[in-house]
Amino acid sequence: MERGIVLVGLNHRSAPVEVRERVAFANGRLEPPLRRLVAVAGVAEGAILSTCNRVEVLACGPDPTALGAALPGFLASEHGVPEPALAGHLYTHTDREAVRHLFRVAASLDSMVVGEPQILGQLKEQYAAAAAAGASGQILHRCFHRSFSVAKRIRRETRIAERAVSIGSAAVELSRSIFDRLADKSALLLGAGTMGELTARQLLAQGVGSVMVANRTFDRAIDVARTLGAMPVPWDRLPRYLPLADLVIAAASGEEFLLPRAAIEEAMHERRHRAMFLIDLAVPRALDPAVNQLDNVYLYDIDDLEGVVTQNRGARAREAAKAETIVDAEVDTFWRWYTSLDVVPTIVALRERVEAIRRYEVERSLAALGALDPRQREALERLTQAIVNKVLHAPLTALRRHRADPAEAFYVEAARRLFRLGTGATGEASEERSARSARAPDGPPGEAERESARAGRRGLGRAAEDARELGRSARSARAPDGPPDELEDLDPDDEDT
Amino acid sequence: MELGLLRLAIALYLAGTVAALVGIAVRQDLPRTLLPRLLWAGFVAHGLSIAGRSWTAGHMAVTTFDEALSFLALLLIAVFLVVQLRRPLVALGAVVCPLAFGLTLAADAVYRGARPLPPVLDSAWLPIHVVLSVLGDAVFALAFSASLLYLVQERRLKARRAPAALRYLPSLETLDRVNYGCLVWGLVLLTLGMVSGIVWAHTAWGRDWSSDPKVVLSLVIWGIYVVLLQGRMTAGWRGRWAATLTIAGFAVIVLSLVGVNVLELGKHGKAF
Repeated sequence: MERGIVLVGLNHRSAPVEVRERVAFANGRLEPPLRRLVAVAGVAEGAILSTCNRVEVLACGPDPTALGAALPGFLASEHGVPEPALAGHLYTHTDREAVRHLFRVAASLDSMVVGEPQILGQLKEQYAAAAAAGASGQILHRCFHRSFSVAKRIRRETRIAERAVSIGSAAVELSRSIFDRLADKSALLLGAGTMGELTARQLLAQGVGSVMVANRTFDRAIDVARTLGAMPVPWDRLPRYLPLADLVIAAASGEEFLLPRAAIEEAMHERRHRAMFLIDLAVPRALDPAVNQLDNVYLYDIDDLEGVVTQNRGARAREAAKAETIVDAEVDTFWRWYTSLDVVPTIVALRERVEAIRRYEVERSLAALGALDPRQREALERLTQAIVNKVLHAPLTALRRHRADPAEAFYVEAARRLFRLGTGATGEASEERSARSARAPDGPPGEAERESARAGRRGLGRAAEDARELGRSARSARAPDGPPDELEDLDPDDEDT
Repeated sequence: MELGLLRLAIALYLAGTVAALVGIAVRQDLPRTLLPRLLWAGFVAHGLSIAGRSWTAGHMAVTTFDEALSFLALLLIAVFLVVQLRRPLVALGAVVCPLAFGLTLAADAVYRGARPLPPVLDSAWLPIHVVLSVLGDAVFALAFSASLLYLVQERRLKARRAPAALRYLPSLETLDRVNYGCLVWGLVLLTLGMVSGIVWAHTAWGRDWSSDPKVVLSLVIWGIYVVLLQGRMTAGWRGRWAATLTIAGFAVIVLSLVGVNVLELGKHGKAF
């Protein structure tokens, strides 16, 4: 095959937080790096995943070997890190393994805390960024959408999420080793992000007496404080409130440490050295690691929490194994679809299909016409052959012309669907789709749009519908940055109605 | 008879040690319910053994080195059981039980039979002074146990790569509180023990006792714990520093207990 999917990256297992924080992409500002990614030679489609536990670049293009060689350089140059510094930490997955990796990430099987739910949301956000920047194309669209439904299926069919120990409960467990009871303790949340909010929520559920929320923008602090039933604290008044906090959850990073060692030292003095538990969820880290050396101060960063969590993993091993089986099956399904996108087998299948139709019709005509002499027979054969060849000429030329260019997959898939060549994946795709429509509210982005579009089309005549679809297809073939899932509108279940 | 009961208590303390150690390693209820029962049984057997010995001697059997060690172990178990009533801290048993086991085993080993009490010391002050002083030592032994666990737990949390074996240790705050409570009670008992000793010595010997090594060491111990209490109350000493000082104080207690008796120094030399 002359195209491939490659994933290069590092995660919490392959690289310590010191390395991860150096190559992390700023969330919400993914567009410029995504544009630079697709500008890398050989990259046809690209996406970037960057969370506190992983930084991964996913790309597909005509030459997987070249991609595997180019992506580490991209990652290094994006962050001004010398490439050799990353070499020992990077892993490269190609083709099926890349897809499997993405599925496992989405299903939270590769997470630090297996089964934690945040990763799926982060993945969706970053996929949306890739789609918006026009970096992801048909293959990655499909790949991501499959990964979302794999994640949901795993959550539905296994108990992996129930068994999961989140960062929050790891923090709770540790605070129980430090504090006698939580009811008379107060927690300070620095940075009102999702992760911090979830952790604070968990601490509250475990009975922490009160929570203070500080955020750089005070309005956001007020909002989060309201949902938590907490007290908002102005950012510039932190030194006054810090001594009151028995637990500090830092979930915002900046150019430098949010709380330098001196600030903690002063707060400890003021609180007469009562124990303080600092939880640093941010990458890059928000709190000076040297703070842990202070007496009665206990600092855990995100890697340390992993250590706590690893111990609780044994019980989930069986559920994880079940989830891996699901991933295997889903990778197979995806891969059948993906390989069917190849031009050569499609041409072969197309010829076979049409030839079978021609044969069938010739036999029927021969039976109806009665006895024919060999010359007449010959003429009939030649006539039908000629029609078939002329009809097939344009599609086959188009397929050959777009071989190994970005539109290849689109043409192949269109041909397969128009001629009902079957891909092994289409049938399951439609099944899966109707299942998804049933739970539409949490469906992937674009779902509702498609639903209403389809409903609107129902009244239209068949021909008009086909014409419209062809128009749309042609548009999206010319412009690879069309809206996600464009192609799924060519779904067989539409044609079969 | 008395020796048999003592040995039964030794065995029960050993069983208690095992139960407590299992209790910190796994989250299971069995050691938690078993430990207090073993120790109550041990306490009763041990108490009967000492009572029997006192009956034969005609005075409270706390005047020889082995009797002193044995009595300290008995009171340590008693203090632990009382604390246990208020709050189950099985993990504390992991230090208390081996201590009691070691003390009783040593008492059994150095046993050399009864010894007549000098008539000058045969007064009501004997049980008062001895019970107060030994009870104080027992309370400080409990503080030592809590401090030791504190240091282990603190190291575990500071290292941030927690070994699974020590997951069920009590929280730092709990251990620090036990330490604080023991410090206050121990100091009260130690002070009363010293005062009763002074009064008793004055009535028995007049002024000829103030340079007794045991008295000097007791003053040192008292000084350490007073400084620690003062630091806790005013300067916010707590945690590791407090635990370390508590352990240092207990080390001096052990020194005065063993050293004075083994070297037979001063008036306490033949016993406490």
